Amino acid sequence: MSSSALTTPFDQVHSTESSHHGAPPHVCKFGMIIFLLSEAMLFAGLIGGYIVLRLASAQWPPSPDLPALPKVLTGCNTLVLIASSLAFHMVEVSVKSGKTGRRWLLLTILLGSTFLCGQAYEWTHLYREGLWFHVGGVYGSSFFVMTGFHGAHVLIGVLLILWCFLRQCFFKSFTQHHHVALDNVGLYWHFVDVVWVFLYMILYIV
Amino acid sequence: MNVSVAPDIDLALDHPIALETHHHSEKKGIMHYLWSYDHKMIGLQYLWTAFLFFLLGGALAMAVRYQLGFPNHPVPLIGRFLPSTLASDDGTIIPGGYNMLVTMHATIMVFFVVMPLLIGAFGNYLIPLKIGAGDMAFPLLNEVSYWLYVISGFFILAAFFAPGGAPGTGWTAYAPLSAVAIYNQTQVGQSLWGIAIFINGLASIAGATNYITTIITMRAPGMTMFRLPLTVWSLLITSILLIFAVPVLSAAAAMLFFDLNFGTSFFKPAGGGQPLLWQHLFWFFGHPEVYIMILPAMGLVSEIMPVFARKPVFGYKAMVYAMASIGLLGFIVWGHHMFVSGMNLTLSATFAVSTMVIAVPSGIKTFNWLGTVWKGSIEYTVPMCFTLAFVSMFVIGGLSGIFMASTPVDLFVHHTYFIVAHFHYVLFGGSLFAIFSGIYFWFPKMFSRMMNPTLGMIHFIATFLFFNLTFFPMHNLGLGGMMRRIADPTVYEHLRQLQPLNVICTIGAFGLGLSTLVFFVNLFYSIFKGPQAPDNPWLATTLEWTISSPPGHGNFPITPIVYNGPYEYSVPGMDKDYLPQNEKAPTNIQLEIH
Repeated sequence: MSSSALTTPFDQVHSTESSHHGAPPHVCKFGMIIFLLSEAMLFAGLIGGYIVLRLASAQWPPSPDLPALPKVLTGCNTLVLIASSLAFHMVEVSVKSGKTGRRWLLLTILLGSTFLCGQAYEWTHLYREGLWFHVGGVYGSSFFVMTGFHGAHVLIGVLLILWCFLRQCFFKSFTQHHHVALDNVGLYWHFVDVVWVFLYMILYIV
Repeated sequence: MNVSVAPDIDLALDHPIALETHHHSEKKGIMHYLWSYDHKMIGLQYLWTAFLFFLLGGALAMAVRYQLGFPNHPVPLIGRFLPSTLASDDGTIIPGGYNMLVTMHATIMVFFVVMPLLIGAFGNYLIPLKIGAGDMAFPLLNEVSYWLYVISGFFILAAFFAPGGAPGTGWTAYAPLSAVAIYNQTQVGQSLWGIAIFINGLASIAGATNYITTIITMRAPGMTMFRLPLTVWSLLITSILLIFAVPVLSAAAAMLFFDLNFGTSFFKPAGGGQPLLWQHLFWFFGHPEVYIMILPAMGLVSEIMPVFARKPVFGYKAMVYAMASIGLLGFIVWGHHMFVSGMNLTLSATFAVSTMVIAVPSGIKTFNWLGTVWKGSIEYTVPMCFTLAFVSMFVIGGLSGIFMASTPVDLFVHHTYFIVAHFHYVLFGGSLFAIFSGIYFWFPKMFSRMMNPTLGMIHFIATFLFFNLTFFPMHNLGLGGMMRRIADPTVYEHLRQLQPLNVICTIGAFGLGLSTLVFFVNLFYSIFKGPQAPDNPWLATTLEWTISSPPGHGNFPITPIVYNGPYEYSVPGMDKDYLPQNEKAPTNIQLEIH
């Protein structure tokens, strides 16, 4: 392989953009994608463990008196989360076209919070029905730990978007040409949504 | 997007590019040492913190060896000060305490010494210098990663003071022993272990993200991937392994934490959980982890060897491809740790074969190292001695690895001292020898002084002899049937005749401890009293040797332009016997295409 085929991206890093504070946008995005790969492996570990436990169980739920998971309600909640991804996409579209994107940011926060409230309702509902971390064996364990891990990620995502919203309101931080933090929060948010689609399918549907 | 810089463009001489990486100012005073964004300071933070843990981990190892060599004798001097969870009133180590010592020794050495030294210290210090960058891509994340490591260190140390004492479940923390509090007797200690592993994992992921991004996006002009020094390649591949392996351990540690504290039953059969699930998750991480700890060591020695053989590394690209295939194969062999778990025999054979395949790239590396020193002008400096010792010790550890990759052999040696011998040959004889080699080699760059070669040679000879005295007899102990993790071999009739070997191992271990003290004496003496080092004391070619020692903030006064591969030693027809990466070869010299 000739060496000239392998390029050095030095010029991109050391272009005029780097006089701006911090690493240049494409470097930040690259780092975020690497980080999200590790996040994907975290959920892969949880999902892998769940599959092993579930295949080893003669029936699912393991005992007939354990409550079923609310497919329809959470299905609606899933749609809310997907809608929030679309809303965030609109944030990026409007910021890139020169607008502030504040309304779309607010909508994303509202949709994300709605999802969290839905999950909180579901947890309390299942708790009253007699399912909790230590009740219902692996059925309860896996459900609460996996949705808990994901919920924590959604909560962090909502806080990040809230931070973007406040920065945009008070400092107009993100403009047509400088919006790398917004892009990275977007990558994270879309990732968290995609993970949820997998979790919903494997926990509720299958 | 991708702007290609042709290697022979003459932009260096006409238009020096001012470095643009001074986007964070240099810190003054105490904050310079505690909260620095400079990759070199962060590397040194990792170095010193890991050395502290190294002393603790070594002390634990000697306590373990004392008990095995002289079972149920009070530990001299320090025995009376040991907490009641470790030793009885007269200072004799108790069986439960012995398990804690073994567990903490291994956990500390793996997660708090070898990984932070190889990846945290050398990785941080060397990557930007070797690729010609001013710093890491994300300096703040870099410092956060170091402090996450420190926080995880506090959690693991806190486990010693937990109500039930430190965990005694081994560094592998097999369930259900680890997952059920009434079994392991220390719910708090085991939970702290889980938290420490989780936070330590965050530090690893933050560091790995930074390394990959830096190596891919911040190389100096002309520094193509196949002009990267092998240390950088090894750290890149290691970082990729970290990104894919560590989060799985984090997930497992979290499940373990919930099992212990929230009553979940992931690993508890009573609730439908599976102890075997822990083994799978742990070893899915655990085997890549083995390569995480040896690949950077291989990178360091591949870097040091050509300098003291005054020859290019033999088969540079083969070295890169070998490391990449070791990394890749490392993900599909974890089952070889579980041959005795009741595994399906076909699956077991598959894991055996995939494991043995790793011997091929490992062999390529070994023979390439031999090819590198072959007919070289070898200088037996301290770093070179450790490097050559690395190769021979790695061969011993690697060969015993092939033994246990074979299922029928493994059934016999599993959970015996044969395994303990094996992994100490690769971890101490491998990783730690490379670390020593790297310290002696880069010390002049880090502290602008030379280390004392006489003390260094005493350290090397003593370490080499005592290392083999400690660990070679463990092969015999293992084949003689001595099990791992037993506090007192003399209670087993079949082991009584082997007790002299245990005494020999113990004498070796204390010799090893003393020789390490020689190293630290040399280290501190040389920092303050060592002779001033020139910028390039070893006449090496890579970029870090082209600048002052220690390099200033921002590293390169002028962005270097790279013209050559990293190992242009003894180029025929040249006046001097090395050609730095940023120096153009004289026009009458034809280099091989790199």
